[in-house]
Amino acid sequence: MISLSTTLRARRGMMREWRLHALSIFSLAVAFVCFGASLLVVTNLRALEDRWAHAGRASVYLKDNAAADDIESVKQALLRVNGVKQVRYVSGQQARLDFGASQQERATALASLPAEAFPSTLEVEVVPEMTDAELVDMAAKLQKLPSVEDVETYQAWTERLSRLIRGGVAASALLALVVLGAVLAVVGSTIRLALQRRRTEVEVLKLVGATDRFVKGPYILEGSVQGAMGALGATGLLAILFMIVRGRLDGEFVNLLGLQPQFLPWYLVTALVCSGAVLGALAAMGSLRKLVLV
Amino acid sequence: MSRSEGPFAFRPALRAGARFSREAKDRPILTFESVYKSYRSGSPVLRGVHLTIERGEFVFVTGPSGAGKSTMLRLLYRSETVDDGRILFLGKDVARLRDDAVPFLRRNIGVVFQDFKLVPAWSVYENVAVALEVLSLPTRLVRTRVGEALERVGLSGRGNDLAGVLSGGEQQRVAIARAIVGEPALILADEPTGNLDPQLAIDILGLFEEINEGGTTVVFATHDRTLLEVRPRRVVVLDEGKALDVPQGIAIDSDDHYRLPN
Ligand SMILES: Nc1ncnc2c1ncn2[C@@H]1O[C@H](COP(=O)(O)OP(=O)(O)OP(=O)(O)O)[C@@H](O)[C@H]1O
Ligand SMILES: [Mg+2]
Repeated sequence: MISLSTTLRARRGMMREWRLHALSIFSLAVAFVCFGASLLVVTNLRALEDRWAHAGRASVYLKDNAAADDIESVKQALLRVNGVKQVRYVSGQQARLDFGASQQERATALASLPAEAFPSTLEVEVVPEMTDAELVDMAAKLQKLPSVEDVETYQAWTERLSRLIRGGVAASALLALVVLGAVLAVVGSTIRLALQRRRTEVEVLKLVGATDRFVKGPYILEGSVQGAMGALGATGLLAILFMIVRGRLDGEFVNLLGLQPQFLPWYLVTALVCSGAVLGALAAMGSLRKLVLV
Repeated sequence: MSRSEGPFAFRPALRAGARFSREAKDRPILTFESVYKSYRSGSPVLRGVHLTIERGEFVFVTGPSGAGKSTMLRLLYRSETVDDGRILFLGKDVARLRDDAVPFLRRNIGVVFQDFKLVPAWSVYENVAVALEVLSLPTRLVRTRVGEALERVGLSGRGNDLAGVLSGGEQQRVAIARAIVGEPALILADEPTGNLDPQLAIDILGLFEEINEGGTTVVFATHDRTLLEVRPRRVVVLDEGKALDVPQGIAIDSDDHYRLPN
C-alpha cells in the first residue's frame, strides 16, 4: 500500500475537512432534489401516458332511441374491424349503477339522477398496437351511423397529457442546467478552499518533484465523491418523500389514474449518481486548471 | 511522458553518483552563465551571475539580505525562471526546461529551507517518504530507504510522531532526511539554520558536511558568519547582482557589505 496514494490523500483530506465537504454535499443534494423531483414527475406522467395513450379503448355513445337491432348490427360491424378485441354493451341503468359503485359516499345524491343522464354505450376494446390514426378513422366511420350519438376515443386526454409531459421535460432540462451550475460553483469553490487549506502539502509535493497529476488527483477524486454523494443523498431524500406521499394517497390515486405511482427507475438513479460523479470531477478539474502550481 | 527520452526530460537519478550522461560526468555539475533576474523592472536582483560548481563540492553562498541568494536557488529548482542567461545542471539548461519536465528536475535536487516546509499533519515517516512516493517506488524499498535517511539525521524510531509536534531542530532534521532520501546529486539549503540556536546550527551544518562526504554536492546559502568560520570552505558572495568567489575568508565593512580581501 502506498501511504500517500491519491485515494488516501483524498480520504484524509475529506476526513480532516469533513464540515466543508458535508456542506458542499448538502448544497449539491438540494440542487439534485429539485432535478430529481422533476424527473420523478416526468416519469409518472410518462407511465400515465403509456397507460392511457394506448388505452386501447373507445366509447360509442348510442342515441336514446336506437333500436336493439341497430345496436346489435353496429356491434357486429365493430367486431369485424381489424384490431377490435371486444365490444361490450352497457345500458344506461348499468352505467348509473357502475358510477354509483365507484362513488359510494355520493351514491344517494346520484341515485336521484335520471337514467337519461347515462346514455347507453358500446365499450370497444382494441389491441394496443392500433394507432391513433386508425382509431380516429374508425371513430369517423362510426359517427356517420344513424344510431350513434358520439364517439369518444380519449385522444384529447392523451394530447393534454403529452403537453404536460413536454412541459415537465422542459422544466427538467432547465433544472438540469441549475444542477450543472450548482455543481460547478459548489464543487469549484470547495476544492479551491480545500487546496488553500492544504497549501503546505501542495508546496511540499511540488518541491519533491510530484507531477501536477499526482498533486491534483485527490482533489479531482474529492470533487467526484462530492458530486456522487450529493446525487445519492438527493435520491435518498426523494425516496423518503415519495414513500410519505404515496402512503397518503395510495387508494384514491390508484383508482383515479389506474396505476401505481412509481419511483425513479434504477437506471435513472444510476445515471443521476454517475453524472454527479462526472460533473464533480469536471468541476474540480476546472477549478484546478486556473491554478498555477510552482 | 517518457522519463529518459527527449532533450528536456530529466531521468531521476536515484543514487548520488548516478550519471546523467557519460559526458556530464566530467563536466561541472552546475554552471551559471550570465544569469539575469529581476522581479520588478528597473531593480534587477541578479545582474549577470557567473558561477561554476564542481561535482562533490560544498559551497557557501552568502551576501547581505536581499542580495538574491534565495532567488539564485529558486532559479535552480525552477520555482522562478531566469530573464536571461543559462543555468546548466547536469548538462541541461534548467532555464529552458519545459514545464512538464520540472518535476523530473526536482527529483534530482534536494531542497532544505529555513522554515522546514513540513506537512505538520503528516507523520515524520510520511514527510520523508513523500519524496520517494512521487517516484512510485515499491513500498518495501520506500520503507528501508526512509529508515536509512532517518537514521542518518539521528531520528530513527521517530517515524510515527507527527511532524508538527517536533522541536525546530528535529523538524529541520526531518526536512534534511526528505532532501537526501532520494539520493539527489545536488542539495540546496536556503538558510537552513536560520531558525535554530547556534549550537544546533553547527550540528545541522555537520549533517550537511556528512552528506557532502558521501559525494553529494551541497550549496548552502547563509548569512551566518559563524558558520562560514567553522571550517575553511569555498565561499561565494552574492552582492550587487553578481557572484564573487572568495576562496579564504571575507572582509566585512561597517555597512555590512562584503568585500574581497585585498
Ligand atoms: N517574489 C518576489 N517578488 C518580488 N520581489 C521579490 C520576490 N522575491 C524576492 N524579491 C526581491 O528580490 C530581492 C532578493 O531577494 P532574495 O530573497 O533572493 O534575497 P536573499 O539574498 O535570499 O535575502 P535574505 O538573506 O534576506 O534571505 C529582494 O529585494 C526581494 O525583495
Ligand atoms: Mg533568502
